[in-house]
Amino acid sequence: MAAITAAAALRAALAAEDAAIFGYGVAGAHLTGSRQDAAEQDWTTHNEARDALTAMIARLGAPPVAAQAFYQLPFRVHDATSAMALAAYLEDGVTRAYLGLVAVSDPRLRTFGALAMQGSAGRAVYWRGRTQAFPGLEASA
Amino acid sequence: MPDILPRRRILLASATALPMLLATAGCRSSDMFAGPDPLAGRPPLAPDVVTLDAVIAAEENLISLYRTALDGSSPATAGRPALVALLTQHEQHLARLRAMLVQPPATAQASPRSSPRPSGPAGAATPGPVTIARLRAAEHASATRLVQRLATVEPALAQLFASIAASDATHVTALGG
Repeated sequence: MAAITAAAALRAALAAEDAAIFGYGVAGAHLTGSRQDAAEQDWTTHNEARDALTAMIARLGAPPVAAQAFYQLPFRVHDATSAMALAAYLEDGVTRAYLGLVAVSDPRLRTFGALAMQGSAGRAVYWRGRTQAFPGLEASA
Repeated sequence: MPDILPRRRILLASATALPMLLATAGCRSSDMFAGPDPLAGRPPLAPDVVTLDAVIAAEENLISLYRTALDGSSPATAGRPALVALLTQHEQHLARLRAMLVQPPATAQASPRSSPRPSGPAGAATPGPVTIARLRAAEHASATRLVQRLATVEPALAQLFASIAASDATHVTALGG
């Protein structure tokens, strides 16, 4: 297996954050009350992460990943239940992407990726309602 | 035909030359293998193995804490189904960690563990009741320690540690943290 470069891992994380930003926009429209507040907070968190990753990629001298105008959702979102399932799915994708960052050789990026995984895994638990044994390594349920 | 004779002479000459070379170098053929046996004694364990061994021991301690909390003798009896779910995930952690450590059957039985069991800040060796707060502290300590170990292990092991650390971090929240 070829070693993954820091730039490639950061770009993959950025792509996951962009997808999450798009997806939360869809999910939030089907949520109300405290859940909508949580979705808005998580959307803000993903925007901040996107900005941080973009800056890190630029410091490496690599081109950032441009966000897509549209992302294909894994299933139809039509109510609060499906919106929460989408949010959990998006966070699982973000966790997997940061797991890729843990494999690079730079120990600072490994730590950064691991801590980011804890954030996304925690948000996934909120939306899914249960914990997982191996966040980032398990298939999204 | 004439070509073969010179080759045979070279082979015969070299066969007689070796003892002469050794003699002029001041050593006998038996001296070449008279040095210390490089395989004598137990070779040191690779750093990743030592680290993995310690992580396995820490996971075993966490499991012991949960089992103590669930055996009815501790105050952490509220939310029993939730604790059972977390314990199950720790048992899955342990199984996956052990699967990363392959030891030959003979050495696995004969050799003592390379590192002593660490008790940790909330280890099973520490007496006293196992409260939810103690479980929460143990989970937090586990997540922190796993992230600290990421820098020194090979990538696949680092990813497993990071995943388990993320799981432990979510357990802190599940326990009311």
